[in-house]
Amino acid sequence: MFKKKTLPELIEELRSNENIVNWHEMEPQEAKTTPFDDSVDPRIREALQKRGISELYTHQGTAFRLASKGENIVAVTPTASGKTLCYNLPVLQAIAKDDTSRALYLFPTKALAQDQKSELNEIISEMGIDIKSYTYDGDTSPTIRQIVRKAGHIVITNPDMLHSAILPHHTKWVSLFENLKYIVIDELHTYRGVFGSHVANVIRRLKRICKFYGSNPTFICTSATIANPKELAEQLTGSPMRLIDDNGAPRGRKHFVFYNPPIVNVPLNIRKSATVEVNHLAREFLKNKIQTIVFARSRVRVEIILSHIQELVKNEIGTKSIRGYRGGYLPKQRREIEKGLREGEILGVVSTNALELGVDIGQLQVCVMTGYPGSVASTWQQAGRAGRRHGEALILMVASSTPIDQYIVQNPEYFFDRNPESARINPENLIILVDHVRCAAYELPFKNTEEFGPLEISEILEYLQEERVLHRSGDTFYWANQAFPASEISLRSASQENVVIVDQTSVADVRIIGEMDRFSAMTLLHDEAIYLHEGVQYQVEKLDWDHKKAYVREVDVEYYTDANLAVNLKVLEIDKSRISGSGAVHQGDVAVTMIPTIFKKIKLTTFENIGSGPIHLPEQELHTRATWLELKDTDPELGTKVLEQLLLGIANVIQHIVPVMVMCDRSDVHVTSQIKAAHTGLPTIFIYDHYPGGIGLADDVYKRFDDVKQAAANLIKKCSCKDGCPSCIGNEIEGINGKQKSVQLLSLL
Amino acid sequence: MSSLRDKMNRLRGSSSPASSSEEAAAAVQAPEPPPAANTDHLETLSEEWSSMGVKLLHNEAGSFLMRRLVYPAGHQHGIHCLGELPSASAGLRAFHEVPIDAEQLLYLDLETTGLGVGTGNVPFMVGLAYWSGSDLIVEQAVIRHPAEERAMLFYLNGKLGGYRYLVSYNGKTFDWPVMQTRFILHGYNRKLWEPLHLDFLHPSRSIWKNTLASLRLSHVEEERLGIERIDDVPGSLAPQLYFQFLADGDPEPLRGVYQHNEIDMLSLVCLSIRFGHLLNGNTEGGYQLPMPAESEELIRTGLWLEKMGHAGRAELMFEAALSCERTAAATLNMLAARDKKAGNWQRAVLLWQKAVIQSVQHGSAGLSASIELAMYYEHKLKDYDSALSYVSEALELALIDPLGRRDAKRRAEIEGLRKRRERLLRKTGRKLAE
Repeated sequence: MFKKKTLPELIEELRSNENIVNWHEMEPQEAKTTPFDDSVDPRIREALQKRGISELYTHQGTAFRLASKGENIVAVTPTASGKTLCYNLPVLQAIAKDDTSRALYLFPTKALAQDQKSELNEIISEMGIDIKSYTYDGDTSPTIRQIVRKAGHIVITNPDMLHSAILPHHTKWVSLFENLKYIVIDELHTYRGVFGSHVANVIRRLKRICKFYGSNPTFICTSATIANPKELAEQLTGSPMRLIDDNGAPRGRKHFVFYNPPIVNVPLNIRKSATVEVNHLAREFLKNKIQTIVFARSRVRVEIILSHIQELVKNEIGTKSIRGYRGGYLPKQRREIEKGLREGEILGVVSTNALELGVDIGQLQVCVMTGYPGSVASTWQQAGRAGRRHGEALILMVASSTPIDQYIVQNPEYFFDRNPESARINPENLIILVDHVRCAAYELPFKNTEEFGPLEISEILEYLQEERVLHRSGDTFYWANQAFPASEISLRSASQENVVIVDQTSVADVRIIGEMDRFSAMTLLHDEAIYLHEGVQYQVEKLDWDHKKAYVREVDVEYYTDANLAVNLKVLEIDKSRISGSGAVHQGDVAVTMIPTIFKKIKLTTFENIGSGPIHLPEQELHTRATWLELKDTDPELGTKVLEQLLLGIANVIQHIVPVMVMCDRSDVHVTSQIKAAHTGLPTIFIYDHYPGGIGLADDVYKRFDDVKQAAANLIKKCSCKDGCPSCIGNEIEGINGKQKSVQLLSLL
Repeated sequence: MSSLRDKMNRLRGSSSPASSSEEAAAAVQAPEPPPAANTDHLETLSEEWSSMGVKLLHNEAGSFLMRRLVYPAGHQHGIHCLGELPSASAGLRAFHEVPIDAEQLLYLDLETTGLGVGTGNVPFMVGLAYWSGSDLIVEQAVIRHPAEERAMLFYLNGKLGGYRYLVSYNGKTFDWPVMQTRFILHGYNRKLWEPLHLDFLHPSRSIWKNTLASLRLSHVEEERLGIERIDDVPGSLAPQLYFQFLADGDPEPLRGVYQHNEIDMLSLVCLSIRFGHLLNGNTEGGYQLPMPAESEELIRTGLWLEKMGHAGRAELMFEAALSCERTAAATLNMLAARDKKAGNWQRAVLLWQKAVIQSVQHGSAGLSASIELAMYYEHKLKDYDSALSYVSEALELALIDPLGRRDAKRRAEIEGLRKRRERLLRKTGRKLAE
């Protein structure tokens, strides 16, 4: 029997680890509080006192004061700072004062909504006031639905339900809409990119319905730390906002440690795999029974790490106490894992960013990140999972070999001194806007002068009239179509249709184990792909693309699969250009065609390539916004082959930098290079939005191109490799002096 | 505008932009629909409309179209005569336990532009029927464009308050919620009228669930009310026909929709006559109410009558069913389950035994009857030997597995039977050896 070590002991041991490149300690912070406002109902105050809350943190106090006056607020709150009271207090107060008051809570996921209901109902039961709060989502039974519509004081739902179930049936929700005092939008920062652009339009529709019923609700938003919470909240709600950022919650000591795996191949500057290092680090904590969360960037990575760690600790603790967590697991499974974490039965969890959000999993002691999560904001969110109010906590970021990871661990000031990124949305994306004008017209007729966001929409209304979706009579456009538009529009992904994953391992017990969006399915669920679910391997026997079903069977193999996607680009229209003598940057519309080509089988233990096969799937086309870099005066002596390598290298660097610069998911923006672009024959690098019509990311890159260029050049220069490595421009090619030439090429622009 | 269209086509990856703009051009060239409400009170309708018997109605909220038909009491629709309504309607009191008078009934059937009860589904035709003096009046309100809805609702609002009952076929979940939505959208109080529902889909489902191929009104009327429609426009086509009219202003396609809705209204009246008679016990004598020959329907009718508080009449149905020659085992079980609940063990056992004999070798009905019998002999009669023999029979049936598959329910059933057999073996003192 070995003696279990405590976290402080392990932290001390770690200090001497030679792979640690930066140790950042964050001092504990004392609480800043303010007494309850006199206007707070004594029953609420007593209920909170019973829960040990006798005073408010300063930000909670400010939130209450402003929201009660009817001012829209956005509160920036780190993990575990008591943000829920920022909205629960004004809402409960309003209902305690006037029983007819209603509130609508929006959470980005069902899981968060469920959590919130349990927490809220605990306070309510202690208050002794008859306040009814209900979740309303796809799982709500028809009988409960009726009660929620008629009598729910607080309706807790998600944007998808609001979009497809509540708004199109608003006449069943008269008592909610007539008396709506507050709309709460939690986790505001998650509403960015395509999803955020959709939700901004859903909120336009919501406000339109409220106006119809004569209510004018106040918005209360809460957000993790991002650069532009006020701007995002205003764009999302179309209402002026007051920012609250005087966080008064206490915090325990935190150690934020950057870990760079050792170099195993000096000439190529190749480091030991981050995944392998994470496996071993996590094992140390877990076998000492220290609750640990491991973040990984992809679903596949989660499953790989999970199976490795389970294997490593199987003799010390049971595999059941280490679990995976990611999108694609069924809700029941997720609830069970969350509960296990809160109650300490589950010791370790390996998760994608799905656990970045405020799902309540209690206080964990250690957080290990497999690579840089992709944005400053996201990193802080994940770090917040370790150590809540008291006690020491350890956050370990294990760098991978990607350029951005290497850049960050080698330039810690970039991370610690930098402002977090801005979250961007583009509610005026034509496809998204037109879709929601359709939904809005279904809900209430449009007057031709009516506003829907900042743009003139009469042209859209006329277009929809021509399409025989609307019928014009006098100055009003009426819905005149058999369709139910909300069901055709998904807020979450470019493609409405998800691929359903069917497990047919047991003929007598065929069951659905998950689903995946269409674009991801192209590379993860093709025929013969190995799909990992809860650590179990499945092989795809047949991907039925027409019916969007993937049939899988459980297998036990020593490899996983990795697919290649071939991308082709065509310029449709150039909007703006910045031309210099030797190069140019353009912004405009492009058509992208994508087709998966082959997949590789990669051995789990060594990551070596042990085979491959073709993928037969139809080509997908995407019309979107792009920014592209054109090089005119390249040195002819470089030769095509070398130039191609250099372009690939620069594209690699840009692909890593852009998501950080414009704050979006890695999959929202893509970068690809062409040695001879179809429209000019010139060497070109394209940066494009991965959504029809674009959502403003490539446009942002155009606007801030100098910053992007600068960051790319810095990254290449500062990389410690000799002349190119996977962490910057890719592998070194003998004798071409790649790093220097890449920087030269960038300077042509 | 064409630039917006081009852009949309491009973004959506539309394959045939040419054809859709052609279509659009056609839509643009189409004549403008009649002007909005409140414009011209002297407006007259075209010949096409009047040939259908349609008139223009004006009120302070605008104008809309009305087709009004008067059917005398003597009108025969299928096997029923409309004049039977006043006497039949008394029986309908069983639904709400309050006396009913034919003049309190308002019949409703909508033709809408889409499916579901969402806010964008518009009833372009509202069919009403009511009994007045000795006539049945059918009114069909139609809007020529969405702006006329206001005037139509104004009219309907004035009408509804005079009635206590809303008679419909699926109106409780469809027609009336759709109307409520329309009223709310036009600013009426959502509680403007709270009728007592007589939704005949529910009893139809109770009675004909297994005997009729479909529960659509057009099918029920054909099978049980002796009504045959000729050249009927199916209700599912109505939205398309209306949109065609909206696009080109030609009312001709609506002729079929008017007819379809009119027959729906009359059939609904006849259905209420049938159910009224049934509840009144007017199954013989001067009224023609052919009773079904199938025992399944007789038993289901009996069960429904019993639920509606007519136990005595229900028993007549059960007896009639028992004298039928062939009755499926499942049907026998259904009545047996009712008898078991009512404590009529004697007949229940008889029915189960009959079910077992009938379903030798096939069907789960024999299996469940055997299980019931085993339970009865074990717990009621304490006759363990007989119980044991039924358990063995049940196990045999369960293991035969006609469909070659065993779902979780069947597996649990087998498990339960095995346990029961063990217990019975213990009680009879036999060994588990067999």
